Amino acid sequence: MSQPLLSVKNLSIVYEVPNLDVVAVSRASFDVPRGSIVGLVGESGCGKTTMARAFTRIISDNAKITEGSMDFDGKDLAKISEREMNDLRWRDIAFVPQSAMNSLDPVYRVEYQMHEVLRGRGGMSRSQAKARAAELFEMVGIEANRLRDFPHQFSGGMRQRVAIALALALNPKLIVADEPVTALDVIVQRQILDQMRALQRDLGISIIMVTHDISVVAYICDRTVVMYAGEVVEDCETATLLSKPLHPYTMGLKNAFPDIASAGTGILTPISGAPPDLARPPAGCRFAARCPFALDHCRSVSPTLMSFGDDHSVACHRAHEAEALRAQAALPETWGEIL
Amino acid sequence: MSTLKPVLSRTFQLILVLWAVVTILFLMFRLMPGNPLAAYIDPTFTLEQQEALIRQFGLDESLLRQYFTYLGNLLQGELGYSFRYRTPVAERIWLLLPNTLILTFSSLIVAYIFGILAGAWLAWRRASRAEAFALPIVLATRAMPEFWLGMVLLAIFSFSLGIFPAGGTRSAGTEYESLWSLYTSADFLSHLALPMLTLAIYSQGLPLLLMRSNMLDVMKEDFVTMAKVKGLSPYTIVIKHGARNALLPVMTSFAISVGYQLQGNVVVESVFSWPGLGRELVSAVSASDYPLAQGAFLMIAVVVILMNLIADLLYTFLDPRISHA
Ligand SMILES: Nc1ncnc2c1ncn2[C@@H]1O[C@H](COP(=O)(O)OP(=O)(O)O)[C@@H](O)[C@H]1O
Ligand code: SF4
Ligand SMILES: [Mg+2]
Repeated sequence: MSQPLLSVKNLSIVYEVPNLDVVAVSRASFDVPRGSIVGLVGESGCGKTTMARAFTRIISDNAKITEGSMDFDGKDLAKISEREMNDLRWRDIAFVPQSAMNSLDPVYRVEYQMHEVLRGRGGMSRSQAKARAAELFEMVGIEANRLRDFPHQFSGGMRQRVAIALALALNPKLIVADEPVTALDVIVQRQILDQMRALQRDLGISIIMVTHDISVVAYICDRTVVMYAGEVVEDCETATLLSKPLHPYTMGLKNAFPDIASAGTGILTPISGAPPDLARPPAGCRFAARCPFALDHCRSVSPTLMSFGDDHSVACHRAHEAEALRAQAALPETWGEIL
Repeated sequence: MSTLKPVLSRTFQLILVLWAVVTILFLMFRLMPGNPLAAYIDPTFTLEQQEALIRQFGLDESLLRQYFTYLGNLLQGELGYSFRYRTPVAERIWLLLPNTLILTFSSLIVAYIFGILAGAWLAWRRASRAEAFALPIVLATRAMPEFWLGMVLLAIFSFSLGIFPAGGTRSAGTEYESLWSLYTSADFLSHLALPMLTLAIYSQGLPLLLMRSNMLDVMKEDFVTMAKVKGLSPYTIVIKHGARNALLPVMTSFAISVGYQLQGNVVVESVFSWPGLGRELVSAVSASDYPLAQGAFLMIAVVVILMNLIADLLYTFLDPRISHA
């Protein structure tokens, strides 16, 4: 296998709040192979956005990357100078935000905001930028004459397409998409995901697809990284993750979401309880309080992410019993009685 | 054209509001207790002379007839005769209005340019020592009464240093060929300096604080974060996205401030003996010169209403979410 495009190792990101530190991402590791879509999935608040934004190094003023590395094409994004980082921004690493409405400046036409990137960052002339902008709109299926519109004149789905067109503007190697379809209805979700998949194949780029919705991951991602309370708990090919999950949290997530591709007739079983406070994470396994299979051992010793079989990593003490646990996890009553 | 409709509908509203103001003014001065001519009529006038005067002013007509005569006159720019000066009110007002407008606009423009720049700078230097030093000063200038500020400036720059004259619009004995040559003369401008500065210092707090807080809000918006993620230049991020958006409400507050300022001008016009509309209004009311007071009132109301219209239209033109709805 060739070198991954992005290799994240032991990445920790801390928010400094008065009197306490919120460790939003702790010692996370995973790879993004070239030309693939990697899903980053987990409940709201588990640190997905924090990590996604770290790849652009535009993080909150009170956030700090405290350890680890992010090797991108031979450069450690955690270490390179601000100048080098800014060179990579948008030219190599682009971003699709959750709400394209708020991420486009309301007072400028979309064309202006397109040109800002094409000319300001891509060094194109006015006429080159004009042609490229029209081409990009065509790629995402919007008529070029809509470039003259203001952001609020687009529908929600259209706006996400505009955001995708913007991300593609400078032919980046990596697009980080943070919940790009979460605000949309299922039909539009599917159209946009299909389009992202097609563009990704045609252009050979890599995408990190951040989502809390495992059905989105199932629909589009080649690989999936599951996060829980700031930690990576499972990482493997999506097909494997769906058929043979090793982590009880992944098993639970699967039960909790309808299938995006079908009408979804199965009963949905949520995982009861709430994730731990990231300012005071519990000792041992962070999922133990909600895990139907937790042992005493789980509450004192925290499991580390380990390779388990071919190209499959998991952080669970009972991963070797996964087959039996999967059978139990398929039963709704397994998830019912947790305090 | 999508931008024409708001202009038309706002203009129609403006005409309605003007009509209401005109009507209220009419009723206010007619329904006040006492003879409206009391100040005009000399006690030595005979009864016939008094009645002749009442007929001359049309006060023997029915209220409705008077009202239509009054509206008709207004449409022709006819505001009646001042009791005190015995000259047309319109003449008097056209003489004073430019002084008031020049003072108001020059002070507000200075206040807003300073306020916008300083506000944006303070937002950028947020939580710094510069902020800790500057904010209390700004708040203090907002709390200072304008007459007191005016007197302090007079004491320093006029009485002690003698840099600027103490009052009026021109030095005694100077004559100018036209109003334009008066308003552009160094003499007029040096007379304008102190009252203008007083009002500017008094008014800069609003645009400054508004700009600062808008800027702080806008810089937290997603589109600013995305501008950083795009690797755009700091100038593009702070000025083109940050300041451009933060400026929207400040621009409208400018137009509205003109209205407030016209009312607030009375004090400063008095301190600096500035022959403006505010000062005239006060003296007309205390001298029971109703036609003049009514005319001055009307003129101030017209400017306030116009500026509100401009504020609305500005917002419409500056904010595509409204102009391109
Ligand atoms: N600026 C901040 N200051 C302090 N805590 C923050 C800040 N931003 C996010 N957090 C916390 O970090 C954790 C992870 O947040 P986030 O990365 O947004 O999660 P996700 O995208 O998975 O929903 C949450 O517990 C959140 O409350
Ligand atoms: S380590 Fe224990 S508590 Fe944690 S997920 Fe595995 S079984 Fe559950
Ligand atoms: Mg998020």
